[in-house]
Amino acid sequence: MDYFRKYLGPSQGGVQPTGADTVERLVDRVQSSTLLDDRRDAVRALKAMSKKFRLEVGTQAMEILIKTLETDRSDAEITGYALDALCNIMSNEPSEEDDETPIQVQTDLGLQFTEIFTKTPSNISLLLSMLEEYDFHVRWPTVKLLTTLLTNRCKELQECILVSPMGVSKLMDLLSDSREIIRNDALLLLIQLTRNNGNIQKIVAFENAFERLFSIVDEEGNSDGGIIVEDCLLLLTNLLKGNISNQNFFRESSFIQRLTPFFDMDSEAQRSQAGWSAQKVTNIHLMLGLVRNLVSPNNPQQQTAACQRVMFQCGLLMKLCTILMASGVPADVLTETINTVSEVIRGNLQNQEYFASVLAPSTPPRPAIVVLLMSMVNEKQPFTLRCSVLYCFQSFLYKNEVGQSQIIQTLLPTSSDVNTITAGQLLCGGLFSADSLSNWFAAVALLHAIEDNPSQKEQILRVQLATSIGNPPISLLQQCCNILAQGGKMQTRVGLLMLLSAWLADSTVTVAHFLASTANVPFLITQVSASDSDEHELLVQGLCAFLLGICCLYNDDQNETFSRASLRQIIERRIGLETFTDKLTQIPKFESYTKAAKKPHLNSKQASDIIFDYEFTSIFKSLESDVLKAVSSAAFMEESKKKMASMQEHEKVVNQYKDLIQEQDQQLNETRQLYQIIQQKYSNQEKEMGEMKDLIQQLKDKNALLKAQKAPSPAVEDGKKDEELRSLQQELENLRLNLTEKDSTLGRLKDDLTRAEAQIITQNDTEENKENNPSEIAVLSATVNRLNIDLQECRQIITNKDSEISRLQVQYNEAVRQVETLKQTAVVNSHSEEDTSSLKKEINKLKEEKSQLMERIKKSNEENLKAIDKYNKLEEEKKSIENERLGVEDELDTLKKEQEDLLVLLADQDTKIDKYKTKLKELGQQVEDDDDDDDDLGDDLDDEDEES
Amino acid sequence: MSYAYLFKYIIIGDTGVGKSCLLLQFTDKRFQPVHDLTIGVEFGARMITIDGKQIKLQIWDTAGQESFRSITRSYYRGAAGALLVYDITRRDTFNHLTTWLEDARQHSNSNMVIMLIGNKSDLEARRDVKKEEGEAFAREHGLIFMETSAKTAANVEEAFINTAKEIYQKIQDGVFDINNELHEIEIDCMLFSDCFVNEHNCMIVIV
Repeated sequence: MDYFRKYLGPSQGGVQPTGADTVERLVDRVQSSTLLDDRRDAVRALKAMSKKFRLEVGTQAMEILIKTLETDRSDAEITGYALDALCNIMSNEPSEEDDETPIQVQTDLGLQFTEIFTKTPSNISLLLSMLEEYDFHVRWPTVKLLTTLLTNRCKELQECILVSPMGVSKLMDLLSDSREIIRNDALLLLIQLTRNNGNIQKIVAFENAFERLFSIVDEEGNSDGGIIVEDCLLLLTNLLKGNISNQNFFRESSFIQRLTPFFDMDSEAQRSQAGWSAQKVTNIHLMLGLVRNLVSPNNPQQQTAACQRVMFQCGLLMKLCTILMASGVPADVLTETINTVSEVIRGNLQNQEYFASVLAPSTPPRPAIVVLLMSMVNEKQPFTLRCSVLYCFQSFLYKNEVGQSQIIQTLLPTSSDVNTITAGQLLCGGLFSADSLSNWFAAVALLHAIEDNPSQKEQILRVQLATSIGNPPISLLQQCCNILAQGGKMQTRVGLLMLLSAWLADSTVTVAHFLASTANVPFLITQVSASDSDEHELLVQGLCAFLLGICCLYNDDQNETFSRASLRQIIERRIGLETFTDKLTQIPKFESYTKAAKKPHLNSKQASDIIFDYEFTSIFKSLESDVLKAVSSAAFMEESKKKMASMQEHEKVVNQYKDLIQEQDQQLNETRQLYQIIQQKYSNQEKEMGEMKDLIQQLKDKNALLKAQKAPSPAVEDGKKDEELRSLQQELENLRLNLTEKDSTLGRLKDDLTRAEAQIITQNDTEENKENNPSEIAVLSATVNRLNIDLQECRQIITNKDSEISRLQVQYNEAVRQVETLKQTAVVNSHSEEDTSSLKKEINKLKEEKSQLMERIKKSNEENLKAIDKYNKLEEEKKSIENERLGVEDELDTLKKEQEDLLVLLADQDTKIDKYKTKLKELGQQVEDDDDDDDDLGDDLDDEDEES
Repeated sequence: MSYAYLFKYIIIGDTGVGKSCLLLQFTDKRFQPVHDLTIGVEFGARMITIDGKQIKLQIWDTAGQESFRSITRSYYRGAAGALLVYDITRRDTFNHLTTWLEDARQHSNSNMVIMLIGNKSDLEARRDVKKEEGEAFAREHGLIFMETSAKTAANVEEAFINTAKEIYQKIQDGVFDINNELHEIEIDCMLFSDCFVNEHNCMIVIV
C-alpha cells in the first residue's frame, strides 16, 4: 500500500494529473524494475487502482499485466495481483465505489477490454495453462477472469477454448477441486461456457458432468439446498436443453432415475417450515424444467417416448402426481408441475392410463382429471394455472382413443349418477358459462376429446342439453351454433368455431346434422360477407369461411337445399370466391396463429392473448387447400363427386361380396353342425362297440373258467353248466339284438352321410363361381372325406366284430361238446399229497429264518448294553465338569467382591484427597486440579505433611 | 439396467467411411443409406454380455471432417477402446490411418484397445484396398483387424464385442491400473457392491 499512498497522495491536493499519470508511472515501474519485489508492489498498486481507474489501467497496463503473467509465473503472488487487476478492468459488475460513471459506459468498457484481450488467442491458452497451478491465489482469480470473459464475449471464448487442447476438460476438472469456493465459481464458469454450444455441452457431459453435478446436488440437500444447487441445476439445464445426444447419454446412463429424489416432498418438514422458501421454489422450477427438457414435444418422438417409459418405471411420474394433489404447493410451482406431468404423459398410453387412475385426496375421492378441470373453468384461478390444466388435458387425450371415449362417455345420458361431478358436466358448464375464457378452454378441451376420432364425433352428436324448464332439450351441436349466433366475446366465438370446425371435419354425419338446421348456413354467409375490418372480426370471419368450406368439403349431398353444388353457388353469389379465399387465407397471417402453431404448450402471458389452439392450427393446415378447391373449382367438385361415386360403387361391390361371404359362412356352419352330429353318433356307436367287446371278453373268461373247472368236478357242476349255457345263449341272443340295432343305426348314419354329401355337392356347385374362399370349401370336402373314411372304418370294425362273434360261437359249441364228453368220463382225483409236502418244506424254511433272527436280536442287545455303559461314563464326566465350573464361579465371585472392596477403598481415598486439596487451597497452596495418579496423591500428601 | 463394467469407446476415421452407420447398426440394428454428416460427436449405448457379465458400452461417434478434429480430440481421454475405421473402396481413407493412429496414441491412454475396421465389405466389386493390406497394417501397429459391412451387418456385432473382450482380458490381466486417474472402466458400485467386493483384486477404477 506504500506505493498506492505515495502515488495517490499528491493527487488529492494537486491539480489533476492523478489517474493516467500514476498508472503510467506504475507501468513504467513494472517494466523497468529488476527486482521482483518492486514489480510485485507495482502490480499490486495497479490492481488497487484498477477499480477506480478502469479506463486508465485498462488502456495502459493491460499489455504489461499479460506479460507479467508470462514472465513472473513462478511467483504466485504477483500472478494473483495481475489476474485480479485484469478481472477488475473487464468486469461489468458495478463496484460500490464509483457512482459517477453511468452503467452503460461501464458495460461497454468491459466489453471492449474483453475484445482486445481475446483478439490474441494465445492469451486464452495462457489462462488455461494457469489453471494447472494449484495455488489458490492463482487458480481462483483465473476462474473468475475466465468467467468474466465468457460473460462478455461468449462465442469467441467458446471457440478459443474448444480449439485449445483439452481446454474444456481442464475446466471440467475444476469441479473436483477440494476448495469449495473454487468449485462453486467453476460452476458459474461452466454455466457460461456451455451456453448455446452443443459441442462444448457434449464434451462437458463426456467428462462425467452429470455424475459430479448429481453428487453435489445430493450433498447440498436436493431441493432444500441453496444457491449451489441452483447453479448445478442451471448447468444441467444447459447440458440437456435441446441437446439430443446428451439427453440420450443421460437416459442411457440411468440418470433419469436419479431425478426422482428431487421431488421427494417431505410433508412433515413442509408443515413445520410453513411454506416454501424462495430458493426452494427456484430449485423445483429448474428440476421440473429438466424433466420437461427430456420429454419436450419438440424432441424426436422416439427419444421422448423412451424417456417417458423410464419416468413411469422409476416412479418419477408418480412423485409428480403426488405434488399435483398435495396441499400447500405454491401456485406457480403447481402450474409448472402440471405442465411437466402433461409432457410426461403426452402420447404415451401407459402414462396416460396411470394419470387417469390418479385420485385426489378429497372426500369422496375424485379423479385428478375432474379436480383439475374444476380449476380450469373457475375464473378465480390464476390464468397460467388454467392454461396448464388445459395443456394437461390435451396431453392426456393426445393419441388416446380410450381416454377420448371415457370423456365423451361422461357427457352421454347413459352415465346416470347425478351426484358425482364428471368431466363432461364441467366441460359443458364451461362451454356455456358467462366467462369467455372458460368458454374457450372448454371448447378447446372438447375439440381434443373428439379430434381425429370419427366415432366420438358421432357419439357426441347424441348429447342433449336441458336449457330451461318447459323447453324441449336441445342438441349440443345446435346449442353451440345458437351461442355463436348470439355474438358474444371474441374468445367465445373463436373457441366455438374451432370446436365446430374440428367436429365437422372428416365427418359427413356431423355436417348433415349441422346443415339440418336451416339457420346455420345463412349465419355463416352473413359473417363471411361482412365487411368489418376490425382485426378480431376478420379473424372470426376467416374461421366462419373455414367452417363453411368444411360443410362443402364433407357434404354427402343428401340435403337438397345445402348440397355441394348449391353451397358453392351460394358462396359464389353471396360472398364471391375472391372474398371467400381472402378471408380464409387471412387466418395463417395472424400473429396469434403463428405463435400457437409453434408448439402444443400454451405460452400466452395474458388471458387476452389466447386465440388459437395448436391442434386446430394443424387441422387448418391440412384442410386449407382442400377447402379452397372444394369451394372454388367445379372440376374438383366433379372429380370428388366421381370419386365419391366410384367409392360408392366400390362399396357396393364390396358389400355384395360381404353378403356372399356371409351366406357361405352360414352354409359352412350348417355343414359343420351336421358333421358334429354325425361324429357324435359315431362315437356313441364306438362306445357300444366297446361294451360289446367287453361282453365278449367276459364270455371268453367264463369259457376259460368253465374249461378249468370242468376237470376237477364236472359231475357236480353239470347242472350249473347247463344254466350257464342257457345264460350264455341268452347273452348271445342279446348280442345279436345289439348288432341288428347297430346295423340299423349304421344304416341311418349312412343315410345322413349321403345326405350331407349331397348337400355339400350342391354347395360346391353354388360355390364354384365364388372363388373367394375355395379354401373353406376344400376344408369342407376334406372333412366330408374324412367322415367317409371314418364310416368305412366303422363298417370294417363291425364286420370284424361279426366274425369274432361267430368265432366265439364256434368256441362255445366246442365247450359244450367238451362238457358233454367230460360228463361221460367222471374220475375222482386227488392232489393233496403233493400239497402237504410242499407245505412242510416251507415250515422248515421259516423255522430256520426264525432262529437266525433270534441270533441277531441277541447281538444287538449286547451292543445296546455297551452303549449304555458309555453314556453313564459320559454323564459322570459331565458331573465332574459341572463341579469344576461351580468352583471357578465361586472364585470369580470372591474376586469380584474383592474388586468392589478395592473400589470402595479407592473412592474413600478420592474423597480424602479432595478434602486435602480443599484444605490445601484454603491454606494457599497451589494444587493441580486433575491429579489422580497415585504418585501425585503421594506428592500431595507429602506436601501436606511438609506444610503441616 | 445393472451392469458389471462400463466401457467407453470412440469411433474415429475419415469422413464418409461409415462410422455412424456402424454405430447405428450396432445399437439399433438398422442401416441408413443416406450420408448424414455428423456434427461434432454423437452418442450411442448398448449392453453386451461377456463371460456371463453384463457390460455397458458407451460409444462416442466422432465427426471425420478435419474441422472437427479439435473437438473430437477431447473424447480420447477416458476411452477404453477405439474403432479406427477406413473404407475399403477408397484408398485415401486407408492412407490416412497413420495420422489417425498418431492422434489416437498421443491423446489417449496407452492401454486403449484399438480395433482397425475396413468397412463396406459388401462393395467387393469396388474394392480398392486388399484385405491383406489391412491385416498387414494391423499387425505392424499392434491392432486387431476386421472387415465389416454396416449395410449387411456382417461382422459389426463381432467388431464391437471383440474389442470389449480384449479390454475385459486386459482387466483380468491387471493391465488397467487402479492408480491411473483415467476412468475408462467404471464399475457400478451402487448396484454391484457384491461384485466389487468379490473382484477388487482385479484392477478397476471406481469413479
